[in-house]
Amino acid sequence: MKRDEMRVGVCIIEGSNSEDETAAAFRSLGTNAEVVHLKQLLHQDVPQDEERTLDDYDVFVIGGGFSGGDYIRAGAIFANRIRSSLFDDLKGFVKSGKPVLGVCNGFQVLVELGMLPDLDSQGLSERPEAVLHLNDSDRYECRPTRLKHVNRGTSKITAHIPLGEVRIVPSAHGEGRLLLHPSDPDKTVKTLADNDQIVFTYTDENGNDEVPYPYNPNGAPGGIAGITNRDGNVLGMMPHPERSFWRWQHPDWTRTGGLKKNGPEPGDGHAIFEGVVRYAEKAL
Amino acid sequence: MPETETVDIDRLVVRRKDVDFPLHDIRLKDASDDELLALSKRMGIGLSLDEMKDARKYFEEKKRDPTDVEMEALGQAWSEHCCYKSSKPALTEHIFGIHEEAIACREDAGLIEFDADHYYAVKLESHNHPSAIEPYGGAATGIGGVLRDVVCMGAQPIALVDPLFFGPLELEQKDLPAGTKHPRYLMQGVVSGIRDYGNRVGIPTVAGGITFHRGYTTNCLVNVGCVGIMKKEHIQHSRAKAAGDVYIYLGGRTGRDGIHGVTFASAELTEGSEEGSRSAVQLGDPITKEPVIHACLEAVEKGFLQGMKDFGGGGLSCVAGELAWDAGLGAEVQLDDIPLKEPGLAPWEIWVSESQERMMWVVKPEDVETALQVCRKWDVEAVVCGKVIDEPVLRVYYQEKKVLEFDLRFSTGGPVYNRPIKTDTEPLVWESYETPADLKDILLRLLADPNIASKEWAIHQYDHIVRANTCLWPLQGVQGKEGPGDATVLKPVADRWKGLAVTADINPYYTERDPYWGALAAVDEATRNLAAVGARISSIADCLNFGNPEKPERLGDLYGSVRALGDGARALGVPFSSGNVSLYNESHIASVPPTPSLMTVGIVEDVRNCATTDLKEPGNLIYVVGRTNREFGGSALQRLLGFHGGQVPRTDLEVLKRSAETVVQSVEKRLVQSCHDISDGGLGVAVAEMAIGGDIGATVDVRDIGLGGNLETGGDLRVDQRLFAESNTRWLIEVDIGDKEAVEGLFRTSKVPLTLVGKTGGPDVVFADDGKEVFRLPVAAVRDTWKHAIGRLLGDAHSGGAAQ
Repeated sequence: MKRDEMRVGVCIIEGSNSEDETAAAFRSLGTNAEVVHLKQLLHQDVPQDEERTLDDYDVFVIGGGFSGGDYIRAGAIFANRIRSSLFDDLKGFVKSGKPVLGVCNGFQVLVELGMLPDLDSQGLSERPEAVLHLNDSDRYECRPTRLKHVNRGTSKITAHIPLGEVRIVPSAHGEGRLLLHPSDPDKTVKTLADNDQIVFTYTDENGNDEVPYPYNPNGAPGGIAGITNRDGNVLGMMPHPERSFWRWQHPDWTRTGGLKKNGPEPGDGHAIFEGVVRYAEKAL
Repeated sequence: MPETETVDIDRLVVRRKDVDFPLHDIRLKDASDDELLALSKRMGIGLSLDEMKDARKYFEEKKRDPTDVEMEALGQAWSEHCCYKSSKPALTEHIFGIHEEAIACREDAGLIEFDADHYYAVKLESHNHPSAIEPYGGAATGIGGVLRDVVCMGAQPIALVDPLFFGPLELEQKDLPAGTKHPRYLMQGVVSGIRDYGNRVGIPTVAGGITFHRGYTTNCLVNVGCVGIMKKEHIQHSRAKAAGDVYIYLGGRTGRDGIHGVTFASAELTEGSEEGSRSAVQLGDPITKEPVIHACLEAVEKGFLQGMKDFGGGGLSCVAGELAWDAGLGAEVQLDDIPLKEPGLAPWEIWVSESQERMMWVVKPEDVETALQVCRKWDVEAVVCGKVIDEPVLRVYYQEKKVLEFDLRFSTGGPVYNRPIKTDTEPLVWESYETPADLKDILLRLLADPNIASKEWAIHQYDHIVRANTCLWPLQGVQGKEGPGDATVLKPVADRWKGLAVTADINPYYTERDPYWGALAAVDEATRNLAAVGARISSIADCLNFGNPEKPERLGDLYGSVRALGDGARALGVPFSSGNVSLYNESHIASVPPTPSLMTVGIVEDVRNCATTDLKEPGNLIYVVGRTNREFGGSALQRLLGFHGGQVPRTDLEVLKRSAETVVQSVEKRLVQSCHDISDGGLGVAVAEMAIGGDIGATVDVRDIGLGGNLETGGDLRVDQRLFAESNTRWLIEVDIGDKEAVEGLFRTSKVPLTLVGKTGGPDVVFADDGKEVFRLPVAAVRDTWKHAIGRLLGDAHSGGAAQ
């Protein structure tokens, strides 16, 4: 599939945010991206020309925010609204191999939907298998973070990123500690590592593993920042690649060579969107 | 209120028998002076005797008694909060009209040109009293209010700014006055409120500041600001266009929360405020607000709005009246369909409630269905609630009964007072203290002063990068080791390199000693902070937080500060984008120090040239820009050592203007590697802060600064004075050796003082005098002290053990 034919849907409900910059990131890669309210997919209260179906999209994205206020477990409200109305459609979407990206709140929604980690390769499940729990600091953490790419091949979306490469992708969340087994953090790491489902881990400027707070902003076991499903077409991550899509957004660009005078230079988050698009180009 | 009333006023409040909902006639004509005052107090409408008499005269001419709805409406319309009756003379004399041509529109927010196609919008206001009673809800709803103000101009909000002011964190519980909440509790509540609301609506909180001073113990101050960006053709006015246009109410429901918010904001807090005033604090709901913003911006895009106004102080009462009156028209409003949080609200409650998240649209009759459709899509409740009429009268109906009828020129006129003023400036007494034995210890203690120490405990809780426009972050430097930024920079338009820089400034230790020079120091500091990143000051928003204006010395403080702001703006050639006055920030114990807090916006021509504060490379040169004088009045050193007297740092506005322009040019030409303004704690603290973020040491020799700087004797300053004087209009710049000639030439040509003081490099911050080392401190130790001081005062486990 060619980029200029590719249709990207960035899905929101009330309380979602980051949709404009996420759609803009996909657009700048030459795709057709639009923000779509869940109600447009459900054909509720919208004019006919704004009605959409999942089939209208080749890439499905849920971005950051506090969907529904996140007044219960983060992502749970959005996930349950999808589950009650689009479960089969979305399951079909994932199983057909189309890519799905969930960032921050979007990651939380995908976990609540059972789309991640999806240990049995079901696509979606009735009950979540994991949770993104409260940060260790027990508060919201907005700060620069560095991610190391650790996936050995399962993740098709990040296949073009070299193993061990470190990228600046900022974090901003209150519930980002991934747990499969609340009482046994080591088992979380082992299960996902055995399946090669871990994609990104938090690191520092020297590329160290198992880094402490604040380099690991939430205390996730193994420093897990992003994971894939077994089939490798779903990526969920806590840090925000759209916030380092360009180099001018980097927290430290003034001390790492400044900015060149020609067109905007891509930032470290760029590769993640590029990966989604490249995968879709090849697979669809 | 628990006060005993000496007059019986029940006979003056008569329940109407002809309706089956609560409605009362108020028998003003039978009331004595005492009874008029007692009535005003009983109803909680805050009107003075003269104002009550004006009301009586009006209704005598109309040959009828007012209803409770009408008296409540007057209480709102004539409150200090809505009509600035005490502050207007000072504002008219000193602030109004400065470079007004630069303001494209000033209604709920001010609009100023960003580039040929865009305006930026600015709003700054206070949410002080509610936050003192209920810090979490008060702060949250304050943000909701400024967001609505910016949205109703047709702008997309892009940044929130929160200058906060509390009593000392280390205050002992036993020293806390009765009825007062501890500053730690207040600060944690306010910061949580801003975090949970600002983060949820998805607008970054990019700047602000937290200031600690004893004077805020019984009256914390919570100022909230918002910046927006919009296409010029999307401008919306807060007024109706033509008779026949329809009012559409949308957003949150109306409830009993927030009743009497503005009259509450216009009175002193007392020990009993906790019980008496809780209903005056509104409840915020960001997840109602977020879709309301979407709906409004979609309506702006679709172009069917004739006018738009947000519900702020005074609620429906103010919105319905002002939308019509500002167009020279009138309105008829039906209260029956207004969505309520609970049944059984009396019409006066619906009319004056200040419940949050509500907006009013004015649309043509044929566009009503389109408008309601947009609201339905975003799950925003909306109802038609009135229409614009061709006579300057406001009529309100409930269950087909008329419950209010005003000539709009009467109710929106509002009184203005020329209250007595006392301006006493005490004669200057020079400070006198011995050079402290251990200057190293002094620097560490200054870095641990909560007014200077890192505010990262709060900053990291605010999402400052959502919307992905943030180009310079509030904390700058090496990851995990960041130092303070001078201003945050946003790049608000996708395909352009132009930027907006934002900073918030005020030092109340200066203003309490000298309201004039203190306020001018805030203008100086704002200009410095903007110049340090490479921005030229473009506009100033002021939020004037003062005590009870009925006390002549408090009003004198206001006059002094306002005069300084006017002088500053005039000299720098910038307008006031937005203004807000918050008086009565006074309790039975104390008044707040004069706090004219400023939120200042600067324009960056090309963000690719911006500079940050963190030192970049070993072996670079360090210069001081500007002159260092013996200025210690209100300084951090004075607080630490407890000496008296001293001159509050002064500003020569011509020198400031020239120096800031030169600094901006040096940044634009990429001649400086880093730049930081010198403020609290003087040169010593500023050098330390640059080393913290850069994780690089520096050696600074103070021999050549402060020469002739002793303003009393004309002699040179002592070493400690050179290190810690807080003279204005100064910066530190880091320069690559290869740019030495260019930088020195630029400053020489511009006639701006520039002094080479040292070099970057090494693991320590080293201070020397004429080659002789005074003291040295490892950067890691300096950072640890500065970074964790506030977290330690809060007993925070995630502060102190982290990155060194």
